[in-house]
Amino acid sequence: METGTRVDNVINFTINIMKTLDEFVELFAELFDTVDPEEIHADTVFHDIDEWSSLIGLSVIAMVDDEFDVALKGDDVMNSVTVEDLYNRVVEKL
Amino acid sequence: MSSLTTKNVRIAGVAACVPKTIEENIDLPFYDSKEEIVKIIESTGIKRHRIVEDGTTASDLSVKAVERMVSDLGWEIGSVDLLLYVCTSRDYYQPMTSPIIQDRLGMRQDSFVMDLPLGCAGWVYGMSVATSLMCQGTLKRGLLVCAETNTQSHSLKDRTSRPLFGDAATVTALEFDEGYDTPMNYVFGVDGSGAGAIMAEYGGFRNPVTPESLVEREIEPGVIRKGNDIVVNGMDVFSFAIRRPPRSLKELIEKFGIDTEKTDYLFLHQANRYIDDRIRKSLKFPEEKTPFCLDDFGNVSGASIPLTMVTRAADGLRGDDKHCLACGFGVGLSWASMEFTAGHLVVSELVEY
Repeated sequence: METGTRVDNVINFTINIMKTLDEFVELFAELFDTVDPEEIHADTVFHDIDEWSSLIGLSVIAMVDDEFDVALKGDDVMNSVTVEDLYNRVVEKL
Repeated sequence: MSSLTTKNVRIAGVAACVPKTIEENIDLPFYDSKEEIVKIIESTGIKRHRIVEDGTTASDLSVKAVERMVSDLGWEIGSVDLLLYVCTSRDYYQPMTSPIIQDRLGMRQDSFVMDLPLGCAGWVYGMSVATSLMCQGTLKRGLLVCAETNTQSHSLKDRTSRPLFGDAATVTALEFDEGYDTPMNYVFGVDGSGAGAIMAEYGGFRNPVTPESLVEREIEPGVIRKGNDIVVNGMDVFSFAIRRPPRSLKELIEKFGIDTEKTDYLFLHQANRYIDDRIRKSLKFPEEKTPFCLDDFGNVSGASIPLTMVTRAADGLRGDDKHCLACGFGVGLSWASMEFTAGHLVVSELVEY
């Protein structure tokens, strides 16, 4: 009984802090200076964006640290293809 | 959590020597446009750094720094009981470098001398070892030398590292002072799963040097390295550096009940401005209490913190006691934070060689 309550609490807590894919895409799009946020979607191949650079890669890592308290590695950023892939890597590490 | 407290040892002085040659990042040849290098300078905060000439080593700079330090302190070199040499840019594979420095300085043959091959966390680790040995009271005068010639261990044809790293040697002079009961407090951390984040793959016994490993290879445009050059995985290091150091400082503050309101200086390893600003902001530390010297000297590994003291906090440290926090972090991956008090220090003018 007691254990069940604790699990429920954990689940509720996780739902509360969990950002949706849409919110993640929005946060991701904000990292670019010259790209219209409307042009970035969950299925965008982000390495192909003109403004993409290793510096933006660093700001992705910083954003994920701020918003999710998750440590992304270089490989997570380099091996993800779409913004959704990146989101899934973050969720795996939560 | 591994922590440590030492007493009865105080910092007597600090000195530094840098190569006289200045390399301006804006003039580096690698970049497609001025815009690109301007952006790198803005995000890292590093405008220039010092670079040794061929044939000069970290120990050469170190000897100059120590000679200036002991002269300004009015110490006879024969009165020095201990010397720790925190450096990975060693003169030879064998022997360690500190005996060579002992001989060049004319230190006594019955003194305590050894190398500690740490990188960016080196000053804090070095202080913990030096003060632990000296607080017993038999080793009365000590020199903690922290030096690195990064331009020799990184490829000069690597656009990802050349703007960031510089060369410098520093010395922190320590003195046993019975009754000086202001403690130095430390916390430590290590994560060897990140060993590959900053690594020279060839040249040790895991991957001995072979003729092939010494061939320059183009990894990508603007990045040419040999197998024994240090490779920095920028994203992995960044991910580490924005998370571990703030947590380490918070551990220190909590463990030792530190009131950061009364802290005068936060000395951070000079990694890059973006990382250091994040660490500072996460502790809600004001900018004016967090001195930076990376704009002029870049990342000089374990020499970063004492070089910051010499070039950016000299007047403050020459005055009354200052309450200080420090955090070193980097290759290993290894990190450490420290609380100490420093005042009435002899701070030498920057030596150029």
